[in-house]
Amino acid sequence: MEATQAMPVKYDMDVVRWFTIAAVIYLVVGTLIGVYIASELAWPFLNLDIPYITFGRLRPLHTNSVIFAFGGCTLMATGFYIVQRTGAVKLWSNGLAWFTFWGWNLIIVLAVITLPLGMTQGKEYAELEWPIDIMIAVVWLAFGLNYIMTVAIRKSSHIYVSNWFFMSMIIMITYLHVVNSLAIPVSLTQSFSIYSGVQDAMIQWWWGHNAVGFYLTAGFLGIMYYFVPKQANRPVFSYRLSVLHFWGLTFGYVWLGAHHLQYTALPDWTGSLGAAISLAMIIPSWGGAMNGMMTLSGAWDRLRTDYILRFLVVSLAFYAMSTFEGPVMSIKTVNALSHYTDWTIGHVHSGALGWVAMVSMGAIYHMVKKLWRTEMYSDSLVNVHFWLATIGAVVYVVAMWVSGIMQGLMWRDYDEYGALTYTFVESVSAMHPYYAMRVVGGAIYNLGAWIMLFNVVMTVRQASAAHRTNAVPAKA
Amino acid sequence: MDVESMTTNDWLGVFFAVFIFVAMIYVYFMVFRPANKDKFESQRSMALDDEDLINSGDKK
Repeated sequence: MEATQAMPVKYDMDVVRWFTIAAVIYLVVGTLIGVYIASELAWPFLNLDIPYITFGRLRPLHTNSVIFAFGGCTLMATGFYIVQRTGAVKLWSNGLAWFTFWGWNLIIVLAVITLPLGMTQGKEYAELEWPIDIMIAVVWLAFGLNYIMTVAIRKSSHIYVSNWFFMSMIIMITYLHVVNSLAIPVSLTQSFSIYSGVQDAMIQWWWGHNAVGFYLTAGFLGIMYYFVPKQANRPVFSYRLSVLHFWGLTFGYVWLGAHHLQYTALPDWTGSLGAAISLAMIIPSWGGAMNGMMTLSGAWDRLRTDYILRFLVVSLAFYAMSTFEGPVMSIKTVNALSHYTDWTIGHVHSGALGWVAMVSMGAIYHMVKKLWRTEMYSDSLVNVHFWLATIGAVVYVVAMWVSGIMQGLMWRDYDEYGALTYTFVESVSAMHPYYAMRVVGGAIYNLGAWIMLFNVVMTVRQASAAHRTNAVPAKA
Repeated sequence: MDVESMTTNDWLGVFFAVFIFVAMIYVYFMVFRPANKDKFESQRSMALDDEDLINSGDKK
């Protein structure tokens, strides 16, 4: 920040405000769809014999809305916020940022239309058809170009570690999305992957796991490394550790995808390599989690009163937990039990609800106060939201852990004659209480999201009213 | 090792694996070198230093 201390900077923050509000709305919508489809699994009559709202159609809509709508808008809001403030410079192109906002939201609208109609490529986390894939590439490149050029014109000499994480995400997701989405179109709404068989599976999970690794981890670590120090008002515990965290994660994550394909037609060694590197990744992941938590050294008492900080710290606990659980599940012996069971769903949601969403909520609350230059409408509601989110996530994850391990044990149990002890239907029946428990956990989490939306809307209205009150005498 | 049967893809894979291994060792060396400690840690509080810089943004 050497050259800029004396000169206030006027940032491009309107686009950040819009992305922030959109993120909160998508959090409500995405988790609501999740609760509904979880209810469908527990009580299948909720399909209502309407094809557009069956689990198979709505599940990709849920994942797309929470990952790409909520997660994407959060990443773009925080990314544009961080890159300006750490570089002490306006965005390279405000117009391109608005193009990114409208383009990204148009893609979300198209997802809402096409996925319930059953238009899908059938690739997990990459379901959208080829014309929308091209739009994603264009809008993502616009975001990336704007971000990287803003870094290039920064007024600070150093590039803060958050920006490194964001740029790593931008470059890798471009590469992953384009390669994984290569397809031969046969009509406007249908295409076939250029890969086949085991290569298709390998490419799919190379994308799938790195969507987790770079989009849902690197990007959100960029958020963590900026907003934890800001909210705690403490410097990062160790900047050297953050550099190691960045390079360890960037070098390591791309090797992991094959661990999703243990015991398949994929060559055995690729799964072993994926598992070995997964285990090695515990080191940078835990180093980063500790780095974030230790940033609070000497300020732990603030957790009693700072509800936003609670979101950020609990998200780090979930980050540490899920980055330990994932590598353990990738070990072949454990994978033999966990694969295809609800344990995987529990693992994903401990990362999604506990880590990604909680760190996002903390960052959004922090930004709302700064962007509208006001206090939250209700700090108590932030606290209520914190507990609903934490309890909801724990109930959800525990339900899926129990259900998943039970499934795995039932599926492979056999009697003295070598016959399976349980039929598949018996395992489905046994899961019902846990599926109902998942609905309860998800509903609690969704209720917290509604409270956040209410609190944010009221905060913005309160700030606008205060702004108008202040503006009137000035006019007179 | 059957070098004769190695394809271009195999060689590229070997090259990138070794390159990344060496690069990671270099990063560890650079980060833990005592002479670099102050240089890195001087950036610890960078996120905190932007507080006075924000002006009005473009909020109407």
